[in-house]
Amino acid sequence: MIGDAWAVFRKELTDALRDRRTLLMVLLSSVAIGPLVLVLISALVSGIERQAEARELVVHGIEHAPTLRNHLLRQTYTLRPAPPDYERQLQDSKLGDPVLVIGADFEADLARGEPPVVEVVGSSANPRAQTGMNRLMQLLEGFNHEQATLRLAVRGVSPAALQAVQVEERDLAGPATRAAQLATMLPFFVLMAVLYGALNAALDTTAGERERGSLEPLLMNPAARSALVLGKWGAVASVGMLIAVLSCFSFLPGQWLLRSETLAALFRFGPPEALRFLALLLPLAGALAALLMAVAIRCKSFKEAQANATIVVLGVSMMPLVNLFSQEGEQPWHLWVPALAQVTLMGRVLKGEALGPLDVFVPLLVSAAVTALGVAYVARTLRSAALR
Amino acid sequence: MIEVQGLSKRFVQGRGRGARAVQAVDGVSWRAADGAITGVLGPNGAGKTTTLRMVAALIEPDAGQVRVDGIDVAREPRAALRRMGVLSDARGLYPRLTARENIVYYGRLHGMSQSAASARADVLAAMLDMKLLLERRTEGFSQGERMKTALARALVHDPANIILDEPTNGLDVLATRALRRALRRLRDEQGKCIVFSTHIMQEVAYLCDRVVLVAHGRTVAEGSVAELNARAGQDDFEETFVRLAFSAEERGHAGLA
Repeated sequence: MIGDAWAVFRKELTDALRDRRTLLMVLLSSVAIGPLVLVLISALVSGIERQAEARELVVHGIEHAPTLRNHLLRQTYTLRPAPPDYERQLQDSKLGDPVLVIGADFEADLARGEPPVVEVVGSSANPRAQTGMNRLMQLLEGFNHEQATLRLAVRGVSPAALQAVQVEERDLAGPATRAAQLATMLPFFVLMAVLYGALNAALDTTAGERERGSLEPLLMNPAARSALVLGKWGAVASVGMLIAVLSCFSFLPGQWLLRSETLAALFRFGPPEALRFLALLLPLAGALAALLMAVAIRCKSFKEAQANATIVVLGVSMMPLVNLFSQEGEQPWHLWVPALAQVTLMGRVLKGEALGPLDVFVPLLVSAAVTALGVAYVARTLRSAALR
Repeated sequence: MIEVQGLSKRFVQGRGRGARAVQAVDGVSWRAADGAITGVLGPNGAGKTTTLRMVAALIEPDAGQVRVDGIDVAREPRAALRRMGVLSDARGLYPRLTARENIVYYGRLHGMSQSAASARADVLAAMLDMKLLLERRTEGFSQGERMKTALARALVHDPANIILDEPTNGLDVLATRALRRALRRLRDEQGKCIVFSTHIMQEVAYLCDRVVLVAHGRTVAEGSVAELNARAGQDDFEETFVRLAFSAEERGHAGLA
């Protein structure tokens, strides 16, 4: 029994690994895309950081407002005149900074005590310029505050009269939590990598075997059907697990490519996190392999099986959304749902939270149950599948 | 030796009201001796494939018994399968494996060691004249090359009983001749019990020591070609086949009477 299962396992694994073209596509689409996205995010974040570090403002008509200019220069900002077609450039996302527009009567109005109007021009369709809006608004707020304080001081009123309430901001998220926000897509990518890794092998050993007409002769060997299915499942699960290992560890070098130092410091995904990911993903790879095989064994052709497997793929890819849309936050039952449990727990690992033994045990139990059911179903269906 | 006694199988097609029962095999009996080639000859749909699938323990019969070298297939299917080599109607190979790997895989499933199975692949390759094919991946093999590989795969454990379901389907004349030569050698040199199903009477006339004629899931006649000809009072085996396998009514419908 063990010998037969081992023979099937070896043959199926060789067969799957020889399917170079498919493997290459899986590697490219699932394993490489995660680090690629990571690098893209880092490029975006470092661009935003550069913008913030540059302390540069784009202003139109600063010559009309020496007082404001004085204030801005004292905040150590450098001022850059806006290009004449700044509106169009903002709309086309060619200009990455919002533009401060000052009217010709600014200084005179200010001196008379009438509030001059300034415009902060941006475009909500231009995310780069939009991130600078807040900063510019805060600067103008600061100018307002300074002017008001001065006027009160001239009239002998304490500036504290203006401030009935003192507001201070306190952010409860630590650096690790902020990084986790950015990295929420990471569990999704590794999950899909595992699924796509197991998909082809699972379909090939079941529906593919039927389509080739090699299932009937296979069953005319004296090997037990359970041994055949166990060997097949082992090979499919191994391919899925191999992809899981590759994709988890692909994020480690991906990290070196992070351009932003702050981001690199925030994004904590080292070898210990990778190992924790694997502890969650490997049992799931086994369960997904069994599930895909159970779906595919009913199908006469590889194509039909692909169509049927779409449901599994869709189900697994929808799981992370439960977390996203759930108003009540994480629920205890989440840990009992395959894929959702893994995504939830991987999210916790990224937040730097510890995993309890029960947290790991429940999904492990569910994965083992799904695996056992799937393998038993395939073994039961194998003979009737060979004949149809 | 293979003995088939009163084998019956009914299939139900469809579900619910549209269900239709088909009596595929209806009390077939025959006997295939060692050192002989027995042809199971019958028109399309006579139940040949179903019968052979029951012999190979792939389908459980509703009634009747199959004994392979005295082993009851229903009771000890795996012991019976060890004594049989089956080239079934479906003979798919693994395209990404070489011919040798395809053959050795089945050897492993029969409990042979890697080296023993590989050595056996060489012996079979010499017998079936496919030495040059052994190390090639089976993707892109011709029908004849596929058949040879599938046959070698079925014979890897050197079974005493060989069952071939329509083996010449899709083969050209040279490949068919090569197959006949190989089967004769297996019979004459190794005294195998060979069962061979076909709907082509020339095959039977060329090759078989005994013929079992089946029609409508039943055995209609059994004997050597000469015996059957004598029984039908014909010189031509094709005419004998038509007389014995089809009723007068059926012959009338087909314009053969």
